[in-house]
Amino acid sequence: MKKTAILILAASLIFSLCACGSSGSSTENNAKTTHGDKELYIGGIGPTTGAYANYGLSVQHGAEVAVKEINETGGIGGMTITFSMQDSQGDPEAAVSAYGKLLDWGMDVSIGTVLSGEMASVVNASANDDMFMITASASADACLEASKNAFRICFYDSYQGIAAADYVNQNLPGKAVSVFYQSDNDYSVGLYESFEARCKELGITFKTVQTFLKSDTDYTAQINALADSGAEIIFIPIYAEEASTFLTQAKNGTADAIFGENTYFFGADGLDGIMGKVSDPKDANNVLMLTPFAENSTDEKVKNFVSKYQAAYGSTPDQFAADGYDAIYVLKEVIEKAGYTASSQISGAKLSSTITTLSYKGVTGEMKWKENGNTDKGCTAIIYKDGAGSVFGE
Amino acid sequence: MTIFLRTLISGLNLGSIYALIALGYSMVYGIAKMLNFAHGDIIMIGAYTGIVAVMTMNFPPLIAILTSILVCSLLGMLIETLAYKPLRQAPSLSVLITAIGVSYLLQNLALLIFGSEQKAYPTLGAFPGFTVLGVKVDGMTVLTLTVTAVIMIGLTLFINLSRMGKAMRAVSEDRGAAELMGISVNRTILITFAIGSALAAVASTFYGMTYVYIKPTTGSMPGIKAFTAAVFGGIGSLPGAMLGGILLGLIEQFAKAYISTLWSDAIVFGVLVLVLIVRPSGLLGKKRAEKV
Repeated sequence: MKKTAILILAASLIFSLCACGSSGSSTENNAKTTHGDKELYIGGIGPTTGAYANYGLSVQHGAEVAVKEINETGGIGGMTITFSMQDSQGDPEAAVSAYGKLLDWGMDVSIGTVLSGEMASVVNASANDDMFMITASASADACLEASKNAFRICFYDSYQGIAAADYVNQNLPGKAVSVFYQSDNDYSVGLYESFEARCKELGITFKTVQTFLKSDTDYTAQINALADSGAEIIFIPIYAEEASTFLTQAKNGTADAIFGENTYFFGADGLDGIMGKVSDPKDANNVLMLTPFAENSTDEKVKNFVSKYQAAYGSTPDQFAADGYDAIYVLKEVIEKAGYTASSQISGAKLSSTITTLSYKGVTGEMKWKENGNTDKGCTAIIYKDGAGSVFGE
Repeated sequence: MTIFLRTLISGLNLGSIYALIALGYSMVYGIAKMLNFAHGDIIMIGAYTGIVAVMTMNFPPLIAILTSILVCSLLGMLIETLAYKPLRQAPSLSVLITAIGVSYLLQNLALLIFGSEQKAYPTLGAFPGFTVLGVKVDGMTVLTLTVTAVIMIGLTLFINLSRMGKAMRAVSEDRGAAELMGISVNRTILITFAIGSALAAVASTFYGMTYVYIKPTTGSMPGIKAFTAAVFGGIGSLPGAMLGGILLGLIEQFAKAYISTLWSDAIVFGVLVLVLIVRPSGLLGKKRAEKV
């Protein structure tokens, strides 16, 4: 009995050593022998199956549209892109092993991972790899900290709360605000806290703050309190799935108090995909979503992206798809600015120092990067009515 | 006053769903003397059956509910035969662990077949509400309460008056002696599971119509709450399960409305602890003298 236990332990030790070796040793043998100099391998990691598949697939599809466009117009610095997206199912452990797999495959640069939890562990694993990474959508404040070569396209969470408060202050001034958030979810709590801090500075007070837990199924008590508070803006920094439950109950549930005609349900990027979640599109009426990307913007770049995306995948791109598209284009910009024409020369540190001097206007707005990887950019809000979204105020 | 009345009604609504689930829990425990932790997941399967019956097969509402009841009963009997029957002589801890295993098996099965995305339960009909003292009472609340009460009374009559009910009480009282009297213990427990699972299917219909969205994990939390309700009212007692469920719903909603949404679960379970200290066998549970 004891012997088998020791054997298993030894086997697993050897196994884990091998696993470490494959990602650790890549620092030294950075000579990418798996492909030619005129080819550029870009890797991405994210959930393309499972509960968060909608986010992963959006990023993947957005990136693929960009890759196709760039390859048709001569590639990046003369190099042809090959793009590979590895499935992580949203699991940080699986994301790290997917990262190892991509290194073995010959990845030159990366668009990182889709979710924040994955990004934190992959960034940790890649800290010594000289691998340049620009994540499309990992928004948690701390997830880029472990590496100097990690950047992002999307907002970071604390900035989103501030941007949301500024948006309310500028575009919906003087309206009464209440909050409904999930008290056992990092994203929701983080967004609420930065929103609240900024609102305090702006002199906006809340009528009521209601919370719920992941395990809750009945929001009647909270809905009654929110409706009674007389708020015209309900800030809901939550994910689309919980938001759909909340909205359906708010509009057809057992709650006695009802919201006024012009009550806005105001949320951030977590609400992306809400239309695919609600059972009746009318339930999402008056949902206002803060986003750097508006699918029906009149901007030429956006129009081109939306029409190509629709032709390829038969659906309208969401914010995550737009982030994925921009991530590939930012890679192109930064590699060309650094002057690389052969993939074996690429150094992550050089790209990182280049990107901070870059300014790029993509489909998600104008971006400049700080050394910590963050980017501040403007945002608009989309309002939903009978299943269709349009830019608020236009 | 409005807040009080409104909380009372939303509490009754939530409580009637808990009560409906608790009835099945309590009945199986009372007769088979085991905690069927898979009960909540049978509700989830029942809800998915309802969705498939209406959305893909285009069954009319009543047929869809009957299909769901049939599928759940068969599933309950299958689980009893395959998982619990072989463990009849095993210690109760083994049965408990098996029940948890069955629960996870059902959840993962649903994950495999239906995926992790939530599905919307179809509307099976409109139940117009009415207004009392300026507060809206949902038609569903009244219907759920009525159905729960009817089922509770029906089941109590069945257990107390019918031949099968007599056999069930005998098995519950003393399994060995019942067997000696010529009662087939296995058959009695099998039928208990069939009825318990049919109740789960009824509960799934009401859960689906009230809360709309169904996921593979849908059954677990209401299952735990309903189990709590059954213990609260005195596990094994059917009127107790109904009383416990309704009280649990009321306490939860009042705690949310008057104290804190964050603390509502802690308050619910705190009250449960207090009740169990004063009445260890629950509100309506039978006191059982330990024979030495």
